[in-house]
Amino acid sequence: MANKRQLVKRRKAVRNIRKITRTMQLIATARFQAMFKRVSASKPYSEKLAEMVAGLAGLDVELPDSLLEAHSETPRDVTVVITSNRGLCGGYNANVMRTAIEHIDRTANSGTPCDVQMVGKKGIQYFRFLRRAMTEVSPLGDTPKFEMVEPLANELMARFRRGEATTVHVAFMRFHSMGRQRPEVVQLLPLAPDKKAPSGDSADAGAAAVQYDFSPEPGKLLEELLPATVRIRLFTCFLEAAVSEQIARMVAMKAATDAAGDMIKSLTTQYNRARQTSITMELLDIIGGAAAVQ
Amino acid sequence: MAKTTTFHCSVITPEREVLSAEATSVVFPAHDGEVGVLVDRAPLLFALGIGILRIDGEKGSQRFFIDGGFAQMLDNNLTILTSQALSQGEVSSAKAREALAAAEGMKITDDASWTARDKAIRRAKEQLKLAEQVG
Repeated sequence: MANKRQLVKRRKAVRNIRKITRTMQLIATARFQAMFKRVSASKPYSEKLAEMVAGLAGLDVELPDSLLEAHSETPRDVTVVITSNRGLCGGYNANVMRTAIEHIDRTANSGTPCDVQMVGKKGIQYFRFLRRAMTEVSPLGDTPKFEMVEPLANELMARFRRGEATTVHVAFMRFHSMGRQRPEVVQLLPLAPDKKAPSGDSADAGAAAVQYDFSPEPGKLLEELLPATVRIRLFTCFLEAAVSEQIARMVAMKAATDAAGDMIKSLTTQYNRARQTSITMELLDIIGGAAAVQ
Repeated sequence: MAKTTTFHCSVITPEREVLSAEATSVVFPAHDGEVGVLVDRAPLLFALGIGILRIDGEKGSQRFFIDGGFAQMLDNNLTILTSQALSQGEVSSAKAREALAAAEGMKITDDASWTARDKAIRRAKEQLKLAEQVG
């Protein structure tokens, strides 16, 4: 029967798709673990750097304000939006874009022109579709490397110093834990003190008590430490975005695999029913035929 | 005895902790020249330049090419933070020569490109130096 054959065909197709989504889920899991390791591996650097900055801030040093204060009277915002290069990761890109657009519109409505620097193919496609203005950042690949993020950070800092931007924001998917990622817009420049400031106070006192040999003098040292802080902060954003992307893909592919499983079950039931119906019909035919002969 | 002659040294890049080991002496390239550190060195906080980092431990010495960053010595813990740290095995003279040629070919249009070219040349030269120390 045509119906039966069709059901068999569909079931086969769904099975194949399930195989693919399951594989993608496994790949995403492996990638997630690798990315997660990278995030943890980048922690010592940022922690140590924050410690050094805190140690210097505890001293009575004239702060170089090149990254701490805006250099222009006319406000202008630059927002870096981090999206993925690949799809099939559920609502990941949509969530980031929604938060980013909200932020961009809010800034634009308050009278601050807002430049968008778009990272990732998906975001670029979406903004092209919306016909919104943006600068496309050359693709960074799936695993963000520090030497790739560094030029972007340097360019942003240069623009900030020249007064072409008074604030720099980054919109990305913040990785809180395995089960929680939230799209966020964080301020990169002017450099804000770390959120862990209260706990840093006691560390400050301890570090300030240490008599360091400085080379060059503390003020100049800070001038180099602060850009390094901006670079590592931007790099961390990229790393967290990459981890969140893999988690989103993992979850999306798990859902797809489960849905395919359910579909196979219902198709099997339908197929069995159709088969039973056809058998019954054939039997009735035979019995009817036999009865007619008698 | 061992405790008094060695100190802890770690080399950390944004991507990973490259090295964490006990050392008897470390020579790092500061922004204005090389600086040697021995055990019980007074606390220091230095900006680093481009150059070769040498770490002598009890089991032999290790060399890394490092590209700027910071060094901190505190309580016999030396931390080297750098954006790039390449061990001897990771640099090759062929690649370094290529990088040097590319760096020398960079065009100078303003101050920024001049510093960029200068840095690229120094990077390539230091890598070449490190690579040739192998043989």
